[in-house]
Amino acid sequence: MARPPDELRAESLRVWAERLAGTIRLAEVEARRRAKVAGVIQNVRIDPREGRSFIEATIVDGSGSELVVRLTGRMSLAGWQLGEGLVVEGTVADRDGVLMMLNPEWDLVAGPEHG
Amino acid sequence: MTKVADTLKRVVVGRPMSSGELQHTLLPKSIALPVFASDALSSMAYATQEVLLVLAIAGATALPFVFPIAGAVAVLLAIVIVSYRQIVRAYPGGGGAYVVAYENLGMYPGLTVAASLLIDYVLTVAVSITAGTDAIVSALPGLAEHKVVVTIGLIALVSLANLRGSKESGRLFAVPTYGFVLCMYALIVTGFIRCIGSCPQAESSGLPLEPEHALTAFLLLKAFAAGTTALTGVEAIAEGVPVFRFPQSKNAAATLGILGAISISLFLGVSWLADHTNVIYTEESHLTVMAQIGDAVFGGGVMFYVLQVLTALILVLAANTAYTGFPVLASILARDRIMPRQFVNRGDRLVYSNGIVILSVFASLLVYAFDANLNRLIQLYLLGVFLSFTLAQAGTVVRWRRTREPGWQKSATINAFGAVVTGIVMVVVLLTKFLEGAWIVVSALPVIIFMMRAIHGHYSEVRRELAHPERVPADRRPGNQHMVMLVQRVDAASARAVGYARSVRPASIVAITFDKVNAPTWARLAPEIPLQVLEQEGSRTNSIKTFLRRRREDLSSDDFLTFVVSEILRSRSTFEIVKGWRIQRTKASLRREVGVQVLDVPIVEDEIDPAVDQAREPARNYVSVLISGVNNASLQAMEFAETLRPTSLRGVHFGLDPEEAERIGDEWLDARVPHPLEIENSPFRDIGLSLINYIRSEFQPDGVNRVATVVIPEFIVRKRRHEVLHNQTALVVIKRRLLFEPGVVVVSVPFYL
Repeated sequence: MARPPDELRAESLRVWAERLAGTIRLAEVEARRRAKVAGVIQNVRIDPREGRSFIEATIVDGSGSELVVRLTGRMSLAGWQLGEGLVVEGTVADRDGVLMMLNPEWDLVAGPEHG
Repeated sequence: MTKVADTLKRVVVGRPMSSGELQHTLLPKSIALPVFASDALSSMAYATQEVLLVLAIAGATALPFVFPIAGAVAVLLAIVIVSYRQIVRAYPGGGGAYVVAYENLGMYPGLTVAASLLIDYVLTVAVSITAGTDAIVSALPGLAEHKVVVTIGLIALVSLANLRGSKESGRLFAVPTYGFVLCMYALIVTGFIRCIGSCPQAESSGLPLEPEHALTAFLLLKAFAAGTTALTGVEAIAEGVPVFRFPQSKNAAATLGILGAISISLFLGVSWLADHTNVIYTEESHLTVMAQIGDAVFGGGVMFYVLQVLTALILVLAANTAYTGFPVLASILARDRIMPRQFVNRGDRLVYSNGIVILSVFASLLVYAFDANLNRLIQLYLLGVFLSFTLAQAGTVVRWRRTREPGWQKSATINAFGAVVTGIVMVVVLLTKFLEGAWIVVSALPVIIFMMRAIHGHYSEVRRELAHPERVPADRRPGNQHMVMLVQRVDAASARAVGYARSVRPASIVAITFDKVNAPTWARLAPEIPLQVLEQEGSRTNSIKTFLRRRREDLSSDDFLTFVVSEILRSRSTFEIVKGWRIQRTKASLRREVGVQVLDVPIVEDEIDPAVDQAREPARNYVSVLISGVNNASLQAMEFAETLRPTSLRGVHFGLDPEEAERIGDEWLDARVPHPLEIENSPFRDIGLSLINYIRSEFQPDGVNRVATVVIPEFIVRKRRHEVLHNQTALVVIKRRLLFEPGVVVVSVPFYL
């Protein structure tokens, strides 16, 4: 029988992430260390409130972990779309058990579903 | 499942692919040809026959004209192919006739093409499946009496396959298409060889055929027009350029060339054989021309049946291309706001199904009305085809003149020549087929165009009203919250509603009931909320409406008036909603009541815990507003949500289309809405399910201490018939599912257009 869609998706994410040179898997990321990781945008949060505006995305790479990437002070999504790939490099913080990168260097790459 | 079954599935279905992978798989020419050519090649199964049918009116002596007429059609086909190779170059994005005409010639030519393409898709299904039935009936004559049933049954089968979501798979198309082409060549070559000396004669060759009509120039034109059926389906490649492998335009143009060569040789070959086997085909014939030729050339036997089966298969595939083309066109038209917006998202199963069902229903109606008679159905077909050929080519000429790319003069000349030729043929088709059925299309076109124009007008007006800069969120303070609570009985549900209302601390609140016996228990449950016993005037719903209207008159226009309903659902089945029809009807009719929000506090019976359901205020109220765009309707809903004294308040958008989601995000930032927006994925394109999962994981509502409120902005259009244009049924489905979710309160915030 075919495997469940979630598992298939995780596998295609892993294959996709492996191809991006120089990145490590999210499951290997540790708090308070610098890391370069790749993941696909799972959801996006926007907060335009004065003084604390930010945009934030949760990325996954099929390794079972996820990472929150937050950019502060931005007033545009600049191409952050669901399903697009993000390669980020920065220091990882642990915020209440959630791994997060605040204002890392970032690059958009095509997600696994774009040939 | 066992390993054997797994292997079997791999062989039959192929290796598993994610949907994204499938969509972006680019086709090599060898696979693209069968995918796009089945429509064009399938017309070979009946084009010669249509010519012969017209010629037969002038008696047996007219029949040899079939070959010169086929020659003329072949020349026309060559012209159109050469011209379309230029269009493919001009529109590497895969324009299709509609885009080309709309972009270059303006709205009305665009609408004309759109309307004729829609008609064409319906006719493609009707004509191809009817012709397929003819092929089946030729092999199994016993079915002749049940042609209509067989044809409609086949349409139902094809639409079922598409409803299940079968994606067109290149290899699936390749086998029958290449099989058909090979079989046709085998037929033609065998025919040529057997014609050395004397040709085998068709069964019908000896039949007496009395001329009913002299062989006039008009009759020859009519025969030519009938033969132009061979051109249908040529445009498919121009619409599908983006799925070709790189270099796309070059590969698509090459594929068009191959298609042209195959079509022309098959058509000429079959027509030559028809001439030399002396096939006679009239309205009374039970066997198709192809079947007669096949029988004569192959002398019956296996090859005859193989030919019939492959012919039927390729005709079904041709119909299937309409099933894939129709939703794509519908989604483009909906994006341009000339068709209902339900068609925009192709992946939404509900929407996709709508298109398929509509296509099937219209095709079946046509088949029924025309008694599954191919020769009559086909009269309707060609006008739309040539109309879109002509406008697409004319549009491309305009484009060449504008862009002036290197070598544009040559391309423009080719397209202009093609446009003139197909334009002339269109006039010929119109003149020769008007009385036989083309008039139906001629009269349907303006009706469809008018409807599209009206839909476009409506959407444009809605857009203007929604975008009206009346609400600048940052500078506004929402008005006060006023509540009217309906008490049917004093029970666990009304206790929860009271608890909820207490947490909101509205500026005013009053409870209403129709039953005096509720008064004492109510006084114990909620002594601070006055209970008013209403006299029933007419229906309860009307009495409630009157009460709400009076209440509304006393409030300022900024204030919100919320009608609170509580209900106990006895089981988790949707049937429960049918049983509680009275309250459902009240809620439904209040939807159109200006200036009233409906807030629903449901509780499923087995969740009731008498110890806790004491009208206690929930400690947490997490409010999410369902956002489908940044506009007056959603901003008003955000303002409403602010008056609920939420623990947290956010907008949530479920992105079916990532680009649209990004746009909404940017607009949210631009509008400086003072609340966060979450853009969530909806992997199975089911917003209801995604929303429920989201609420469960984010808020863990239990209904007692933690409540999740979902605020749903709704458009209420002035004219009820316009409701079709706004996909409110989806909202009804979502609300219904939320009712059974523990601890979830649903509010509809209507926005009146």
